[in-house]
Amino acid sequence: MATIAVPVGAQAEQNEQEAVRRPALSEYLRWSVDHKIIGVQYGISSFLFFLVGGAMAMGIRWELLTPALDLMVSGSAYNSLFTMHGTVMIFLFIIPMWAAFGNFVVPLQLGAKDMAFPWLNAFAFWLIPPAAIVILMGYFVTPAEAGWTSYPPLSTLFSGDGQTLWALGAHLLGISSIMGSINFIVTILNMRPESMTLWRMPLLCWAVLATSIIAVMATPFLAGALTLLLLDRVAGTTFFDAAGGGDVLLWQNIFWFYSHPAVYIMVLPGMGVLSEVLSIHSRKPVFGYRMVGLSSMGIAFVGFTVWAHHMFTSLQPELRIPFMITTMIIAVPTGIKMFSWLGTIWGGKIRFTSAMLFALGFLSMFVIGGITGVMLAALPFDIHVHDTYFVVSHFHFVLFGGSVFAIYAALYHWFPKVTGRMMNEQLGRIHFVFTYFGFLFTFFPMHIVGMLGMPRRVAVYDPSFTQWNQLIGLSAFVLGFSTFIVIYNVIRSYYRGPIAGANPWRALTLEWATTSPPPVTNFIDDPIPYEDPYGYGTEAATAYLDAVDESFRNGRPASGGH
Amino acid sequence: MAQLTADQLAAPVHDDHGHMSVEDSNNNLKLGVWLYLASEIVIFSIMIVGYVLLRINEPAVVAQAHEKLGVGLVTANTFVLLASSFFMVMGLRAMQQGNRSGMLRWIGLTALGGIVFLGGQYIEYSELSHLGIVLGYDLESQWSTLGMRFYAPTAFHGAHVLVGVLWALEVMRRGAKGRYDHNPIGIEMFGLYWHFVDVVWIMLFTLIYLV
Repeated sequence: MATIAVPVGAQAEQNEQEAVRRPALSEYLRWSVDHKIIGVQYGISSFLFFLVGGAMAMGIRWELLTPALDLMVSGSAYNSLFTMHGTVMIFLFIIPMWAAFGNFVVPLQLGAKDMAFPWLNAFAFWLIPPAAIVILMGYFVTPAEAGWTSYPPLSTLFSGDGQTLWALGAHLLGISSIMGSINFIVTILNMRPESMTLWRMPLLCWAVLATSIIAVMATPFLAGALTLLLLDRVAGTTFFDAAGGGDVLLWQNIFWFYSHPAVYIMVLPGMGVLSEVLSIHSRKPVFGYRMVGLSSMGIAFVGFTVWAHHMFTSLQPELRIPFMITTMIIAVPTGIKMFSWLGTIWGGKIRFTSAMLFALGFLSMFVIGGITGVMLAALPFDIHVHDTYFVVSHFHFVLFGGSVFAIYAALYHWFPKVTGRMMNEQLGRIHFVFTYFGFLFTFFPMHIVGMLGMPRRVAVYDPSFTQWNQLIGLSAFVLGFSTFIVIYNVIRSYYRGPIAGANPWRALTLEWATTSPPPVTNFIDDPIPYEDPYGYGTEAATAYLDAVDESFRNGRPASGGH
Repeated sequence: MAQLTADQLAAPVHDDHGHMSVEDSNNNLKLGVWLYLASEIVIFSIMIVGYVLLRINEPAVVAQAHEKLGVGLVTANTFVLLASSFFMVMGLRAMQQGNRSGMLRWIGLTALGGIVFLGGQYIEYSELSHLGIVLGYDLESQWSTLGMRFYAPTAFHGAHVLVGVLWALEVMRRGAKGRYDHNPIGIEMFGLYWHFVDVVWIMLFTLIYLV
């Protein structure tokens, strides 16, 4: 057998039993340009918004336990509740949460010392708190009640000042997202050490690259639409008012031209996480690595051609079939990923860690969301279930069953790297069971009530749906409860979890080739990636991982044959 | 053998970029500006398309407005803006040749061009409002559909010129301190932005005033 060079470069020393100094908690509360600090800042703040949005979801389900108004004073109050729920979850939780993992993990995986523009990175993060305050403040004046999609004339003629604040806040978040994405693109393209070629990049980096390209090209559409909306609201223009020579559909077109690609902003990084977690925790190479990387790019580009499938009922009829076809085409790159994931775990040495469980949870739930997505793309079916709970079910299967499960998988997977401590696996499994079944029984029955005709966005519904809604409501409370398990686990593990060491999962990607948590400069020397980021299961990989462990134990790189 | 010392761990986080060469850092900055400009194109194009649709659907309104307004003022304004782009190029060239005071002069002229352009736009806007072409919707006015579609893109562009003028002044302030003596990347980034603003104006001028 050939001798193995240990190509990680000289790194700091970390014994398995020894904790590395980690940043003081106060460092997370102030301005910092270190991408690892910023990543955690993004993570904690978006998780807080997850709790806010989750509390609103509990309110929604409470209201829907009975067919009549009970929790809410009026239909309008209910409207503003679900409007804020959607807005907070999408703009303040999922999108910034991926910036959290992107920020922390991507530069490490690339072997870079930091992001390309550290100052801009911090600035993009610090736009979020004021934006959040503006949006949430709107809830306490005359709240926005046009849904997170804010269609005019609901958002122009029939909404109060809260809608203006909503638009201003969303504008700020858009700017933050564009700046963050520019930073990711430049970092991924320009900041790699020489030996990290594009085709050696871990798939999370590919996914974040694709996501960032979408964000840079799509978010300005939202910015443009919001600018016109604000003008309509405060300057008396009539861009979206047919009575004044404007066009209501203009908003729908521009908004979805942003928001459909934004759906992929919300899920592509999760797909990247899945490739990492499934491969590492089943000790097998990613099946079809290049195709998975390229399919991220494919989704990014095809994603711009499907927006009008959100408008099947308002579109010129002759445009429906073309959009139906493009929408079905985008299922192809997604399908490639799905088969790659199955091929990756097939015959692997699967370890049912919490991260792996959530990744498998994603796999099983996202496929349902994907299939209902294709069902909704089919025009005749869509016309039938348009604006019903079937749609609500579909997008929660991709956003919760997809994105949130991937966020949890990523949390369990990278928590040891961030804090230097392992999370409690037993609690992780309990959390998974509650989340998985709570989720399934919350959202699966919505398919059925949707097909039976229950409309979305109503507080008062036909009494024949009561039992279904009670099942959904009770399961939603279980799902809400499950969040506290992971909060407890995170806090407990941060202080009392076992020391993780540099590479607890024995992974080949470079974030594990430095201490946990990494030093301020990430790496002392430029690290040299292993020839294949997912080359598990070979003798060479095992020897490499042993050598990495050895080098951390000694605090110096072992010398190899070359 | 590389080991982390306590000093290194405690070092301020922004000290760790000594590894990036000036050239790499310049390339990063330029790519960043290009991506930013790409996203700006999108916002402008939304507003431009809004105008173009009106031009196609209601040619009579636009023709009347052209008749009333004429293109004298705006042509002069366009010339000023184009000239300022030239000054910009000369400013960068001066700095690359190590001529700091020349750079300050040329960038100063660039800023002045921007200011003159904004002044011209102010005069134009006041003339238009006397004609009754205003931003908000007015049931009485025959210009209602034109006003918002004209002001949104041109004022959005004007705001970019204003930002450009402020940026030029900042470049001069930093340049005067010798910040660009060895690496004029800051001027180059401003130049990319300024040329972009210029190109957008050529688009707007052609679409709104000429055709």
